[in-house]
Amino acid sequence: MNRVEFMAELERLLADLPEDERQAAVQYYADYFADAGAENEAEVIRELGSPEKTAESIKADYYGRTFDESRFEHKDYMEKYGQQASGQQTSGQQQAGTAGASGEEKKPWTSRGLKILLIVLIAIVVWPVSLGLICAVVGILAAVVCLFAGLVIAAVCVMIAGGVTAVTGLLMSVAYPPAALMTTGIGLLLFVLGLIATVGTVKLCMIVYPAMLRGFVELCRRPIHGKAV
Amino acid sequence: MVFNTGAALLDAIVLAVVSREDEGTYGYRITQDVRRVIDVSESTLYPVLRRLQKDDCLEVYDRQFDGRNRRYYKATSRGMAQLNLYRSEWKAYTKKINAIFEGGVTA
Repeated sequence: MNRVEFMAELERLLADLPEDERQAAVQYYADYFADAGAENEAEVIRELGSPEKTAESIKADYYGRTFDESRFEHKDYMEKYGQQASGQQTSGQQQAGTAGASGEEKKPWTSRGLKILLIVLIAIVVWPVSLGLICAVVGILAAVVCLFAGLVIAAVCVMIAGGVTAVTGLLMSVAYPPAALMTTGIGLLLFVLGLIATVGTVKLCMIVYPAMLRGFVELCRRPIHGKAV
Repeated sequence: MVFNTGAALLDAIVLAVVSREDEGTYGYRITQDVRRVIDVSESTLYPVLRRLQKDDCLEVYDRQFDGRNRRYYKATSRGMAQLNLYRSEWKAYTKKINAIFEGGVTA
């Protein structure tokens, strides 16, 4: 890139500035190149970095924002220190390293109180949706609770039915001994099956309900406290 | 240079450099003079000059040179007043810093 190309590109990049601002800047850099002389042209272009960087330094000042030189600086920096002395480069890298480390050590800006406040605010804003969600969750929980409770009740019913059948069979034994024997047998069998099912489902409930409760509590506290350790 | 040059100090240095010339001076020379003492990139000074001009601390005029118009910067009376303020501030500041560096902490 030579001086003419640099100036053309710079002028194009400053197109959104008011006419007098652009004129002033273009005049300044045209003067600058002329005063530096043809022999320093390449050096000036290298020092200025790029038309983009130069344009940004002008615009940043005009619009009152801070000019972030580091956005453009990297290549310059490497060139500058790479060419001057390799000993300086290491110290430069060390500096960059410590700067990076101190940047990482910055505390997160959130605190627990702020987080909770934020969650409450979000909850209020999304209330129409969250109400539906809460109802859905409660509904599903109730369904699961009732399902297992229903299993227990069914098992108990089978047990009772078995018991009743067995007693009926015993009462029938005087009139029809063979039928009575069979009825009592079936009744006892049902009773035992019901008993086993009852014990099984009750045990199942003892496992499922606390697990569900734990899961639910964990679900609620996770957004506030983060993962449990 | 391990110390940063802040905006106010840069303004002060540019004002001082420009005010040394009664007739005023031009962008390239200002840059060279400033770069002799602090490490600034060449694109740093235009915004500074432009701002000082807008604040009426510097005035510009064009003069013929080598078959073209060259833009000159000259300190205004307001610029000189501002520079004197910077000078006294700098004196007080460096005095305190020097006291700590060289004479230990003094009250």
